[in-house]
This record gives sequence, structure tokens and C-alpha cells, in this order.
Amino acid sequence: MRKKKHLLFATYADFDNARDAVTELKVLDLKEMAVEHIELYSPIEHPEVEEILGHFHQPIQRFTLFGALTGTLCSFLLVAAAAQSMFTVQPQGGKPVIPLPMDIVIMYEGTILFGVLSTLAAFMIYSGLPRRMTKHYNPKVSEDHIAIEVEVKPEHIEHVRQALQNCGPLEIREVTE
Amino acid sequence: MKDIEWAKINKDVLASLESPRPLFWVVIAVCFTLVLAGVAAEAYQYNYGLGTALMNRPHYWQLYISNFVFWIGMSHSGTLLSAILLLTKADWRKPIYRFAEAMTLFSILTAAIFPVIHLGRVWDMYWVLPYPNERTIWPNFRSPLLWDAAAITTYATSSALFLYVGMIPDLAICRDNAKGWRKKLYTAMSLGWMGRATEWVAFRKTYVLLACFLVPLAVSVHSIVASDFAMSMVPDWHITSFPPYFVAGALYSGCAAIITLFVMLRYLFRFEAYMTTEIMDKTVKLTFAIAMVWNFLNLGEYAAIWYSNDMFEKEVLIQKFIGPYAPVVWGMLLCATVAPFAMAFEKFRHNMWAMFWLSLVLQLGMWLERFQIVSPPLASNHMPWTWAVVWPGTIQMTLTVASFGWFTMLFLIFCKIFPSVSMYEVKEMVFHRRIASSRDEMEDISKIKDEVMQTEVGLK
Amino acid sequence: MALKRMLENWSRLRQHDYYADEPYMWGMSIDLNKCTGCGACVTACYAENNLPVVGKEHCGSGHSMHWMRIERFWTEPEDNPDVDIEEATDHPERGAHYLPMMCQQCNHAPCEPVCPVAATYHTPDALNAQVYNRCVGSRYCGNNCPFKVRYFNFFDFWNELPHPLEMQLNPDVTVRSKGIMEKCTFCVQRIRSAKDAAEDAGHHDHVEDGTLLTACQQSCPTQAIVFGNLKDEDSKVKRGWESHQVELEHFEQDKSEDVRGYRVFEELNVEPCVMYLDRVRDTEA
Repeated sequence: MRKKKHLLFATYADFDNARDAVTELKVLDLKEMAVEHIELYSPIEHPEVEEILGHFHQPIQRFTLFGALTGTLCSFLLVAAAAQSMFTVQPQGGKPVIPLPMDIVIMYEGTILFGVLSTLAAFMIYSGLPRRMTKHYNPKVSEDHIAIEVEVKPEHIEHVRQALQNCGPLEIREVTE
Repeated sequence: MKDIEWAKINKDVLASLESPRPLFWVVIAVCFTLVLAGVAAEAYQYNYGLGTALMNRPHYWQLYISNFVFWIGMSHSGTLLSAILLLTKADWRKPIYRFAEAMTLFSILTAAIFPVIHLGRVWDMYWVLPYPNERTIWPNFRSPLLWDAAAITTYATSSALFLYVGMIPDLAICRDNAKGWRKKLYTAMSLGWMGRATEWVAFRKTYVLLACFLVPLAVSVHSIVASDFAMSMVPDWHITSFPPYFVAGALYSGCAAIITLFVMLRYLFRFEAYMTTEIMDKTVKLTFAIAMVWNFLNLGEYAAIWYSNDMFEKEVLIQKFIGPYAPVVWGMLLCATVAPFAMAFEKFRHNMWAMFWLSLVLQLGMWLERFQIVSPPLASNHMPWTWAVVWPGTIQMTLTVASFGWFTMLFLIFCKIFPSVSMYEVKEMVFHRRIASSRDEMEDISKIKDEVMQTEVGLK
Repeated sequence: MALKRMLENWSRLRQHDYYADEPYMWGMSIDLNKCTGCGACVTACYAENNLPVVGKEHCGSGHSMHWMRIERFWTEPEDNPDVDIEEATDHPERGAHYLPMMCQQCNHAPCEPVCPVAATYHTPDALNAQVYNRCVGSRYCGNNCPFKVRYFNFFDFWNELPHPLEMQLNPDVTVRSKGIMEKCTFCVQRIRSAKDAAEDAGHHDHVEDGTLLTACQQSCPTQAIVFGNLKDEDSKVKRGWESHQVELEHFEQDKSEDVRGYRVFEELNVEPCVMYLDRVRDTEA
């Protein structure tokens, strides 16, 4: 049986408050190992989140690179093989059956197409989309509020709640799932 | 703009989905009628053959191809405005890039119609696709038309994905505020986006990567369309400078289209607070710069033909200016070379409706440009015995007009269903400007403090 | 499988004269001195190849389907260079130049590589083949042909054929429907049966010169048209090309003054297989 998760979901009116709360939680975590996972919900992108939440391991660009190279190779094989696999091997216009200069055009497009598709696949993988909405999600987040979701062990809930409370939240919810 | 409340941004943009001005419905109805006329014309042509479109030998290509080039060209500016300005971190793109990208997508969809209705045997057009078959017959990748097919497929896919990925956070906003069928649609399309930090970090990376792909892609797409002409041996099509010339022309007509749609959306959906005069000013300056690039390449092409002294090419050039198609060429020079100088005046740039009409004139000029690229060289080709002048007939003109209706209809329907101003990015813009201005204030205060200190020291 | 074949034959597939070792290369020579512009060749072509007769109206709108056509040019009077072209055509007493023009079966045909569906390609006997069944009608080939000898079926012309006339169609030749491109084939159906006949008679890879006539050649009253195999050293057409110093793979022919051979638009480097012999006129008359 899956272990139950205990979550605290705190909503703040301001990014600065949320940042303070996260810092406090980090301090608490150093002291007591109380926090398992912190997630920040925000209506816009804050490039600073990596500084306060730690590094996100998302090597999307590697997917892009390999996708793009696969695209180059596949489109070359497609073009070259298609040119000579006709039942009448087709020389045209005094040119060789497998003409390289014009293959480059198709390879270029193939590179981009596969690159784009694999980037998108990597986006889906690393952002965890598509996913079901959690029940405690607060629609206000998509407007102008910031929320912090903290996964805690049941015995630490009160400590963490106190830490969140210190930074002036609009609301704190306790969720078990 | 830096003082707009975030909640108000949501409210304003979401309101545009519900209650446009009444003129919106009139425009949609007109466009739909035009599309119906186009369908009728195509049905007639399908049944009786392409001869009904009045194309003939040597005019094997005419308006369908020039429209194709026009619409593909128009799609380029959406990418320019969005991807290049994203990579260069120009934040004035944020309120207007969404509709520019939608314009890109729908003009590709419009352009994609033309090669199809242009074919002699439309019913066999899937033969152009490389699919394995038992007869091992494959399409011919030597043909620039196949490069076109590859480029357009890639471009349509990539720009649709770019548009969609950039819209996911906004779809989440819509989802949180919608009811009924819209709720279902937005829930499915927003993929459960909740604005988590994991999502945002992955999102930003993906978005920049896609932008990096889109810039070279857009340049290659119109270069390949130019190759349709440059790779052939028709005099005045076979020109080395065609790819950059086409790309510049594409950006030019696309920027003009952005101005048109800018003014139209601003009025129809009441976006006066977001699509401001400053943004218009910047867009127009960009258009002016591109117009000058295009003019340079156009005149450079004339000069190159003249100095090369190639018998056939020179003849076509002379025929362009004094021959039967001269009104088209002079009209193009008037609309696309002379008219843009109006954009040099600030008073003109700041007048929305003046810019609306000017942008239509520029687009007319660029449309004529495409016509004069396609038709006059065919009219005076290598073989003088076949020289003939043909003007596009009713069917071609109907389908041309219908394509404008089709594009506008798709575009307005998009704007009615999806937020045409990017809410989250406008919020970002507001946020960053607020921080910047508060930082400025802090600096001002500390400066005053320093001065006071210094005077105090001096007094002592 | 296709990949394996590709890797094995890589160097051959990359060479540009793929058909160098083939026994046939069909070519033609047309003597303009002999051509009277009578149009018998055009008529013969209509009959042989099932060309639709489109009528006055379609002809006027540029939809005519003559694979072979007689181009008529008027000379400007040489003693008066100031006279402009409209006036120059008012000198009928000098007579016109006639140029029978049909597909030149270029070895470097510009129409071939531009077809999106590979409906036109080069056959081993150096013909520029058009596969009607495969054509989707993008008409790119028609644009790229500098001779403008490709004809497009803008309508379904055969719908208008009155009843007993379908009996006169040549059973060896396809009747083309609307939306596809067509052009002179050098009477490929005759080439086919001549090759078969030679094979049956035991001549492997050799069609006797003179046994194979194209429809236009057969009907030319002045015998201005000569057709044959350019790879056969003894054929009439090959000897004609040699004596007029016209060579393949050369677009600037270096030749003596008294020979008349030329190929149309040689400077475009498309390698046509048809040689014309220039008309000599007495300009003083």
C-alpha cells in the first residue's frame, strides 16, 4: 500500500513573502530534516526560483541535440534511399541518381522538425505534463497569488505550519493524499 | 502600462473572449461568404479543368502561386516578432506576440491551400508524400516543390507547437475562469498546468529552444519558396539574390499585416490598454527598416540584371517596365517603395487608423510584387514564339479574395476562443518594470542621501 | 534492402552520365532549308499520338495541344536596321522562316528534376519520358522548359469528341485526361515496336537505321527531318551531326563557317538531341 502524503499548502499575496517562507523552510530543514519536498506555484515565471529551491535537473537541450541529429540522419537516408529505390532508377536532368546538394535542403528541414518534436517530448517528460489537477490547487494562483506546497512527515506538521505562518500567508491548508 | 493590476489583466483579456464589439460578427459573416464563394469557384474548376482559371501556355503558373508566396511570406513576421524579439529580450513584444504567432499559423494554413488547388489532378495530390507503397514509387526530392512541402510541413508543425507551448499558462488561466464547453476545452489543452516551479523552468527552457529553431527555420522556408523560382531556368526567375529578397519581402508584408491586425484587434476586442502607441511606434519602426532592406534588394536585383546584360533577362526587365504588365510593376513601386516613407513621420506613426490604411497599401504593394515575380517572366520567356499576356480570370480572383476571407475568419475565430494577448507575459512585463522602477527609486533616494551627506560635510 | 543496394552501387549512383554504356540515344536533325512550313508533320503528329483538336476558341486562349508546331519568324530587312519589328513583318515578299519545334529530348533536361512526383525522367535510350499516370499536374516542368514544348491538358478534351471519331484513335497510344502534362515522345510506341522487331529478327541492341520512322519524319514531303540512333556511328543522323560539327556535351561549338548545324538555346546547356540546319537565304533578292 502506498504511503500517505502529508502536504501543507500555503498561499501568499506576494512573491517576496513566499521567498521568505521558502528560506525559512530551508533553515528548518537543515535543523530537523522536516521537509521532504517544496514546490512553488506562481502565476508568472520567476527566474530566481532555482536559487531558492535548488537546481532543477532538466537536460531538455540534450534531447534537442539528439533529436536534431537523428533528424539529419533519417532525412538523408530517406532522400538517398528514395532516389534510387524506384523501379526505374531515375537519372534526371543530367544529374546523378543520388544528388547530394539538394539532399542538404531536406536534411536541414528534417533536423529542425525532429529537433522541435524531441524538445517538446522532453518538455512533457521534465515538466510532468500532462497531469491531473490536484484537488487543493487554488485557482487564485493563475491570477496573482503565490503558493507553496510542502511535503512533510506527520510529526513535523506543526513546526512547518509555524514557519509558513510567520511570513504572513493568506491561507494555509492541510492536505493528505 | 506598468501599473495595471494582475487581476485586471486577467479580467480584460478574458472579457475579450466573451464580448467583442458587434463589428466582429459582421466581419466574420463577410469572411464566411467569401469562403463560400471560393468553395464554389474551386468546385467549378475541379469539375471542368484548370483551363477555366484562364491559365494557359506559357502561363502555367499564375495567381495561385503568387498567392502562395504572399501568404507564406506573411507568416514570417509572426516568427520574427516572437522568436527573434524573445531571444533578444525585447519585452515590448509581450502584448502583441500571441496574435502575431496566430497570424503565422493561419497564413501558413491559407498558403497550404494554394499548391493544392493549383494542381491539375488535385485528387492525386497525396503522391507528393513519401509513403512506402507496393510499387516502390517515391516522390522526387530533387524538385524544389518537394523542398517546399518539407519546409512547410516543418514550419506549420513548429510554429503551431511554438504557439501552443507559449499559450499553455494562459490556457490554465482560462481554465480557472471558464464554464461549460470552454472549461472542458481549456482543461484538456492546458494539460494540467498549475504554475509549479518545475513546470516554469522546463517551460522557459523549451520555449527558448523552440525559438532558436524557429529563426533559422523561418529564413529557410522562404528561401526554399524562392528556390521554386531561382532553381528554374526561366529568365528573371533564375536569380541568385532571390532567397534573401524573398525573406526580406516576407518580413515586410508580414510586418504590414501585423500592423493591420494590431489596429483591428485593438478596436474589436478593446485592447487599448495593452496595445499602446509606444508598441505601435516600435513595430512601425521595425517595418520601416525592413521596407528599406527590401527596397535595397529589389533595386539591387534590377541593377544586377541590367549589368549582366543577359539578353533574355534584360528583355524581361524591360518588358516589366514598359510592357503589358507595367501597371502592376509601377503600382508595386508606388505602394511598396514610395508609400513606406510616410512611416518616417512620428505624427503618422502614432495615428492608429492612418497606420491601418497605410499597412493595407503596403500589403497591396507586396501582393503586386508577387504577381510581377510570377507572371511577366512567363509572358516573355526564352521562346519568343510563345510570348503571350494573360490576366487572371474570375475564378482565380474569386479564390484570391476567398483566401483573405478564409484567413481573417480563422484568425478571428482563434482570437474569440483563445486569449490573443498573452496574460502571463504581460504580467511578467508589469512585474519586471515595477521592480526596475522601484530599484530606480531606491537609487534616487540613496543619491539624495549622499548629496545631503555631502552638503552636511561641506557645511561643516 | 534499398540501403544495401545503395551502398553497393554508390559510385555508379553518383556518376552523372548514368547511361553512358546504353546502345541507343535517339536524335534528330531538321534541315530548315528543306522545310516549307507546310504543316504535314503537325497533322501526322495529331493523327499518330491522339492529340485533341481543341478548336478555334481554345486555340486562341492558348490551350492548343500541338506536340509539334511550326514556328514562323520574319526577318528584319538587313539593309534598313532602323525599321522596327512591326514594320518588318510587313515584308512578306521575303518569305518567312519556319522552325518545326517539338520536345528536344534534352540530355540535361531542365523539366526532369523539378517534377515533384518523378513523373518525368530520362530513359536508357535518352528519351525524356513523361509518365502520364504519375503526373499530378504541378506544371513546373512546363515553366522550366525553355522551348515551351510541354502541353498541359487544361480540359478533358476527349469528352467533346463526336461519336464515330473515337474509332480513329491510335490504339498504341494513351488518351490523356485533364490535369496532366504531355509532350512529344519521339513516337515512343514506334521505337518500342521497332526494338521488338529487331530483337525478334535476332539483332540484339541494334535497330537498323531507316527502319524506324517517326510520324513527322514519315510525312515530311521534303524529307527535312532525319531521325535515328546517335550512338550508331553509321546512322544518317549521326553522320549529319558529324558533318555539321555539332557535338554533344559542347554548348559552344567550334566549327568552320560553311556548316549550318546548331542546336536551339545551346548556351543554356540543356543538351538537346535535335540539331537544326540553318536556312541559307539570298538576302539580295
